Amino acid sequence: MKRIAINIGGGYVPGLDAIVAGAVLAAHGAGCEIVGIRDGYDGLLVADHYPDGGLLLLDPRVIDAGSSRASVLGTAARNDPFRLRTVTADGAVEEVDRSDELLRKLTQANVEAVISVVGGSAVTGLHALSVAFRLHRKGLRTVCVPKSVENEIAGVPLPFGYNSVLAHVTETLERIGAGARDVGRLAVVEVPGQHAGWLALQSGMAALADAVLIPEIPYDIAKVAAALDAHQRAGRRPALVVVAEGAQARARTGAATAAADPLRASLAPNADPALGQGERIIDRSGAVAHAVAAAIQQSSGREVMPIALGLLARGGPPTAVDRQLGLAYGAAAVRALNAGDSGVLVAFQPPDVRSVPLAEALQRVRAVPAGSEFVRIARALGIALGD
Amino acid sequence: MSLHTDQAAGISGRVLNIQHFCTNDGPGIRTTVFLKGCSLRCKWCCNPESIHPKPELAYDLKKCIGEKECGLCIKECPETAIYVVDSDGKVRVNWDLCTNCGKCVPACPSNALYSFGRQMTVDEVLTEVEQDGSFYAQSGGGITLSGGECTLQPEFSAALLAEACRRGISTAIETAGNVSWSYFAQVVQHADTVLHDHKLTDPVLHKQWVGVDNARIRENFRRAYETFPDKKFVARTPLIPGVNDVEDHIQAVLAFIRPYPNVVDYQLLPYHRYGEGKYDFLGRVYALKDFPSLPDETLRRLQAVIDEAFGRTAADRLP
Repeated sequence: MKRIAINIGGGYVPGLDAIVAGAVLAAHGAGCEIVGIRDGYDGLLVADHYPDGGLLLLDPRVIDAGSSRASVLGTAARNDPFRLRTVTADGAVEEVDRSDELLRKLTQANVEAVISVVGGSAVTGLHALSVAFRLHRKGLRTVCVPKSVENEIAGVPLPFGYNSVLAHVTETLERIGAGARDVGRLAVVEVPGQHAGWLALQSGMAALADAVLIPEIPYDIAKVAAALDAHQRAGRRPALVVVAEGAQARARTGAATAAADPLRASLAPNADPALGQGERIIDRSGAVAHAVAAAIQQSSGREVMPIALGLLARGGPPTAVDRQLGLAYGAAAVRALNAGDSGVLVAFQPPDVRSVPLAEALQRVRAVPAGSEFVRIARALGIALGD
Repeated sequence: MSLHTDQAAGISGRVLNIQHFCTNDGPGIRTTVFLKGCSLRCKWCCNPESIHPKPELAYDLKKCIGEKECGLCIKECPETAIYVVDSDGKVRVNWDLCTNCGKCVPACPSNALYSFGRQMTVDEVLTEVEQDGSFYAQSGGGITLSGGECTLQPEFSAALLAEACRRGISTAIETAGNVSWSYFAQVVQHADTVLHDHKLTDPVLHKQWVGVDNARIRENFRRAYETFPDKKFVARTPLIPGVNDVEDHIQAVLAFIRPYPNVVDYQLLPYHRYGEGKYDFLGRVYALKDFPSLPDETLRRLQAVIDEAFGRTAADRLP
């Protein structure tokens, strides 16, 4: 191969340029040039929005693999190549399939294959994975790199970004917990995790939370309140409840449980008129933290503080694990393409990086198994899971 | 268009739904036939299931009985567009991969997966509409074609209205007018009452909120007023808080319609959020999630402006 392109689907995690750097270094080593497509496929689809060019020729010397800033390529894809909103010649608004045009533009740019950094089940992440899958089925050579804050991608035990987010969320929980404990209040902190509770469970364990509520284990608020009382009696002043976005109350408890489904996101009505077809999605977070906090307050009379980490969960510098994982994933993607792979995700399955078919990642969302060792350890630590 | 009756009765179109006993879609008690397909993308749309021209999939998570007990949809889907979430064992639809082929719908035993829209002939539609016939005579009602945009299926809509006329049913349409004049005229000529939307006056705001500017729409309306002097035209504005609930817009519409005596009324439709839940079923996001309801005071004030222009009191308004 002479020329590869790389792009990044929506959903920010820190340190994405580590993947770009890994791919560029490996490509140069293999005598191959690499270009970046800006903002998903927007750099090619709506090239006129990029006066400096929608494609960036990438040079290993200018990419900082340890940067905590947003990627040089951008991740804010606003346009779906398969459903691009267009005003047709006869004045109707329609969603038009422009994937053939996109493939033609890739060919015109001498791009022989594309590396896409994609997410899992969150709306924006799944979108990028799905676009990659459809383009692959239309004949594009493509290898994907997994990134996620939920750690829910099937076949991928460790996606890029998860370790950094886990470290950052744990540190934030410790700070919140220490503050809350000192003033005798209970912080109810919502962290990302619509379908999978890995982040809530692992950060909650690391910060020694009093309770962790995850989508996999429907909670009974009375049991949560009872566990907090037990902690109090045992001399461990309760201060921290960690809640995943997708946590659900058991039906019979009747507690308010407006789970923040990603679909319950909203478009900012006045967003991006200049960009036309695109729609800016604002994630609505905090609904679950408020519902759980209100229920605990009602049932126990405790003074509670609902807090949603939202984008704060994704901040901070990338950890050493993610820096080397990103470099490895970028390089592995180039190696997979050179080995003739296409339609796969690279996945770190210790001690190797292997290729997993995209269809496998699309068919299942990997949640915390009920009998997981993590669940058993959490219980042993005295962390209430609400069941 | 003058087709032989049998031929006209056999013409088919894409119908979303037939709703009985409607009281806000024209005079009297009406049967409203919603057609699929729209050429606008209003951010406040309360019928998102009507936008796309073809039948499309919808999914109600609460009805899914789970992969372990069932899982039939996963086997049926040729697009890998259905996936399982381990935490609840239920499926989800990957809307980016779904092509609305509909193969999963008959496979779903709990009707969690269902389809919006079906192909129906003129005769099939009217057979259902005529069940309400006894209400029309007393109330002055009849059939109303709505959408989506009914003029996007001009042959079907025209044949349906013409055949309804032949069977003695009064006819009305609801239209936003964003089609070619030939389509528009083909349908309007068969309607007794034309309910038509003036959404926004400013072309730039119109494009921002609705997807295109309003030049062609206004031209179609003006031409229709002049071409069909014997039809009743009822102008309407869906009143969206913060978007068009201002007197300037109301006055601009009045200035546009008042020269034409066949525009018999101008009605305000206060914004509601009844369509919000349907966006979730379709895997789409609702643009106006955080919008407040329209204050009663605003509605009363703007309605008074219209009453004054029509030289009437609130009690004299058309029913």
